Amino acid sequence: MNDKKTTHFGFQEVPVEEKAERVAEVFHSVAAKYDVMNDLMSAGVHRLWKRFTIEASGVRAGHKVLDIAGGTGDLSYQFAKLVGANGQVILADINASMLGVGRDRLTDRGIAGNINFAQCDAQFLPFPDNTFDCITIAFGLRNVTDKDMALRSMQRVLKPGGRLLVLEFSKPQSEILSKIYDTYSFKVLPFMGKLVTNDAESYRYLAESIRMHPDQQTLKDMMDNAGFVRTEFHNMTGGIVALHKGIKP
Amino acid sequence: MANTLIIAALASAEKMLNAALRYDPATRIGLAQLEGKIIALQITTPGINIFIMPMDDELRLMGIWDGDVDTRISGSLLALAQLAQTEIHNLKDSGVTVMGDLSLLADMQRLVKNLDVDWEEMLSQFTGDIIGHQAAQLIRAKFGWAKDRAKSAQRLTSEFLTEELKTLPGKPELDDFYRQVDELRLAVDRAAARVETIINRKNH
Repeated sequence: MNDKKTTHFGFQEVPVEEKAERVAEVFHSVAAKYDVMNDLMSAGVHRLWKRFTIEASGVRAGHKVLDIAGGTGDLSYQFAKLVGANGQVILADINASMLGVGRDRLTDRGIAGNINFAQCDAQFLPFPDNTFDCITIAFGLRNVTDKDMALRSMQRVLKPGGRLLVLEFSKPQSEILSKIYDTYSFKVLPFMGKLVTNDAESYRYLAESIRMHPDQQTLKDMMDNAGFVRTEFHNMTGGIVALHKGIKP
Repeated sequence: MANTLIIAALASAEKMLNAALRYDPATRIGLAQLEGKIIALQITTPGINIFIMPMDDELRLMGIWDGDVDTRISGSLLALAQLAQTEIHNLKDSGVTVMGDLSLLADMQRLVKNLDVDWEEMLSQFTGDIIGHQAAQLIRAKFGWAKDRAKSAQRLTSEFLTEELKTLPGKPELDDFYRQVDELRLAVDRAAARVETIINRKNH
């Protein structure tokens, strides 16, 4: 009997200890063109989803914000402007290539002084308890090996009253939209990935990992179990993406 | 208000405003002084909330805001449009209410009045999305929101702020104030000359 613990990597089952490494390969491969691909894949709509996340964050001057899986720094850029000179933003990503791209981009855009960078795993956040006013994880949670552990870790480092925002692909609410979306994800997306980054496999993984990610209600329940209160979600673009919000009591 | 289209309309309106601001450094400097203030524009029909926040030297338009608001303006889209369009000199029966810091409203009005923005185009992004093409046509026709009306709206808003709310001094009051400043300056000059003469006389 094989009692080795496994988890999903897209539609494949892989040993738990392998997932992080394989996800890392995907993001090393796409890092340099990640933003271009996001724009292409979502027709620019990912900017609107992120914009809504910023609005829902309630972040203001002086706050401490942790942007997990912050990748190329889209959210961190806005947060750094919002928190001002007295606040602090930490852009965290498990992947050195993504973090490097993010750091260069933010520096090029004149963001410095109130931003720090940390290469870390969402499951084991290297920060003291009760540190942050707000934590965001945008399009990152589905790549984490143990999502429950990551949610508990985020809950720990949030200040009481602080909020967690999870922006992630979710389940489209209409059947028709769901069918169109499936065709798009499994046929068009890998093709575009091949054209732009010459890497169809990575984009096939992205599409598969979205299907394996918990739906809206399941993720809300997971947040409740991790100790968050007043959890809620907002569907965007017909449920293709959902923003989950929870408060640390 | 997790509606992607409304977020898109807000993003686009914000882009138009900030594009106009890019060519207007004086207004940008003025905006920087209002940083951290929040104006809530509450359109009751159709229900849209827009929160206007000056940040750095730009304007941010947001659909949601959890914190305090400095000034809140509310009314139906038509009432707000009507206020801009017709010769209304006070808010009674206009369907528009203003609460909070009126001087902020005055500052903002003063700053954005010279911005070269196609307001009609900006508005149509909201109306077009929410109440459909025909209604948008109707509202646009009613608005006649283009430049000439915008000018009269600016004049009316300025009259309203000076005459009705008394948040800004009127032109005659300002002229009188400037005259008094001039007189004071002349009196100070005369006094200075007299003191100088006395000192000179004493020294000789």
